Amino acid sequence: MGETADPDTVLRVEDLQKSFGGLVATDHASFTVERGTITGLIGPNGAGKSTIFNLISGFYEPDGGTVAVNGTDVTGMEPHEIADHGLIRTFQTPRKLDGMTVREAMLVGPREQPGESFRALFTRPGAVTARESENLERAAQMLEAFEIDHLAAQPATDISGGQMKLVELARAMLAEPDVLLLDEPVAGVNPTLAKKLSEQIRRLNDAGTTFLLIEHDMEFVMELADPIVVLDQGHVLTEDTPEGVVNDDRVVDAYLGGGA
Amino acid sequence: MSLLGDPVAWVSELTRPETWVLTGSLAFVGALFGALAVGALGPTYFLFLVGLAGMYALLSFGLNAQWGFTGLINFSVAAFFGVGAYGAALMTADASPIAGGFSPLVGLAVGLLVALVLALLIGIPTLRLRADYLAIASLGLAEVVRLVVLNERWLTNGSAGLRGIPSFFVGWPVLSSFPETMPGLQITVVPGSPVVLETPFWEAALNVVVIAAFTLGTYAVLRRVHRSPWGRVLRTIRSDEDLARALGKHTYAFKMQSFVLGSLIMALAGVFYTHLNLYVGPGDLDPITTFYVWVAVILGGSGSNRGALFGGIVVVTIREGTRFLNDLAIPVDPAPLRLLLIGVLILVVMRYRPQGILPPQRELIWPAARRSTEPATPTETGVRARGTSGSTADADGESDGDTATGVIDDEVEDATGGERNG
Repeated sequence: MGETADPDTVLRVEDLQKSFGGLVATDHASFTVERGTITGLIGPNGAGKSTIFNLISGFYEPDGGTVAVNGTDVTGMEPHEIADHGLIRTFQTPRKLDGMTVREAMLVGPREQPGESFRALFTRPGAVTARESENLERAAQMLEAFEIDHLAAQPATDISGGQMKLVELARAMLAEPDVLLLDEPVAGVNPTLAKKLSEQIRRLNDAGTTFLLIEHDMEFVMELADPIVVLDQGHVLTEDTPEGVVNDDRVVDAYLGGGA
Repeated sequence: MSLLGDPVAWVSELTRPETWVLTGSLAFVGALFGALAVGALGPTYFLFLVGLAGMYALLSFGLNAQWGFTGLINFSVAAFFGVGAYGAALMTADASPIAGGFSPLVGLAVGLLVALVLALLIGIPTLRLRADYLAIASLGLAEVVRLVVLNERWLTNGSAGLRGIPSFFVGWPVLSSFPETMPGLQITVVPGSPVVLETPFWEAALNVVVIAAFTLGTYAVLRRVHRSPWGRVLRTIRSDEDLARALGKHTYAFKMQSFVLGSLIMALAGVFYTHLNLYVGPGDLDPITTFYVWVAVILGGSGSNRGALFGGIVVVTIREGTRFLNDLAIPVDPAPLRLLLIGVLILVVMRYRPQGILPPQRELIWPAARRSTEPATPTETGVRARGTSGSTADADGESDGDTATGVIDDEVEDATGGERNG
């Protein structure tokens, strides 16, 4: 604690450490994500990108260091508490919701639904109905904005991998995050859909959502993200503009496995 | 679409599995009444069976609320059933070693309370962990509860069990003396074999009233919560708990609520059993009950309340129906045959219909909200199948009369889902 709450910083990672046995996955990593940006997080395989995501979103407990969302120290909190502070994440492999339609899967997204309280189902059914109608409306609009409204009644497990990524992004947006962490949003997605995803992320960013995204597709990330944080062997190598990153010898070395 | 308001539309919207189950159930009920009329089935015994079926339906509801909704693997169904039964029996029986003689309503409250405490005790340490921890712990819990009941004689009377349990309505106005005051009736449907209704019949009839109230009440609650945002979070946890956590759901709390809810329903079944059987013993906590209830839920279709109801009735039918095999001159003992039959049945279902006979058929969205957002749209037709087959839809709500084709082979032809044939 004790840090000054900088209104322009939506996510601050300071001196984060995590090891698994003898393997140091995150090695004193520090970086910040400014509000309104699309920040890229890149690095060679095994650089610790996904570990950092898990540490930030509360799925792993850090060995040391702090994570602050919107100026609040969330280190060691449960994922759902961190979500309450405005940080939502997606997963690298799309998560499947068995037995749900796309529309139902979308409706899991909105937070603080009165209908998620068992008691409210019986004591305040009116409030449940009102919010559920509103959420159905929002889900329909969101699907429309993502141009996948024709999928609404499809089984959520019966759509293509790329469409699942779109649904996942759309659902995360229904949670109205301040900052959304995307773990490889276009991995395994065909180029047309990837372009669409890129447009959607840009559109949502213009509307006020901050993004932090891990991506291996360099073209995708260079075009979309600014600034870019480069991670190597668990620590932050540099944080720079896309041009700065591609012209940085240390980055090239890290990717080519030089960096000894 | 309500059955009473527009029966034709109601029937035409049934999906194929629904049509099959409905037809089969009606035929089965018809056969039962036929057997009653000709005197092949005693009316009192019949009502006892109805009570038993309702009890199994309740147990299946309870397990479905845990496994079907949330994916919690509970192998101590018999233990929760048992604490409900013993809680009620210890409070109400004349021969109770501790309290005894209380109103059955006190017994009901105590049975549920003990189940609640037990559910919390086992849930608090295990529900934060992966699903398998609950499975293992509950397996042990069932044995612990059974052995405590068997050995703590000062508390439970040990292997002698508890006798002198009153009927559920003792002490109520009118109802407590209802069976004695009802006149004996003799109904002759088939000449020569009259159906006689006397005091035991009316006692059994009152039991049916109790179980009907328990079952319908529970079903109404479960139906409501299953289609709610609360139920949706549970289904998300069942598919992928990490996803639910990432979206800000406090999954531990949801799992605990689901577990406690299911455990209370199981205990409710136990309370009823106490007043149905009027005797409880440690044998009632045998793990075979857990096994039967799992079979019922899987058979009916995990995640479906109606499936659990259906599965519970099927299991009781097999359990009790095999008694009549004694009358046939077959050269094997029917008791082990019963287990064999259930085993074969579950194998056949798993092979050809892994999602169960009657899995959820429709989108589960809070009904009032759906009505207000899309007033003109007809109901969404079936879109789902759960289970391991990777098949997609199994139901397409056709209204064009080709429902007479097989129920099992529909996985391929219905794979598009959501579309009407007609």
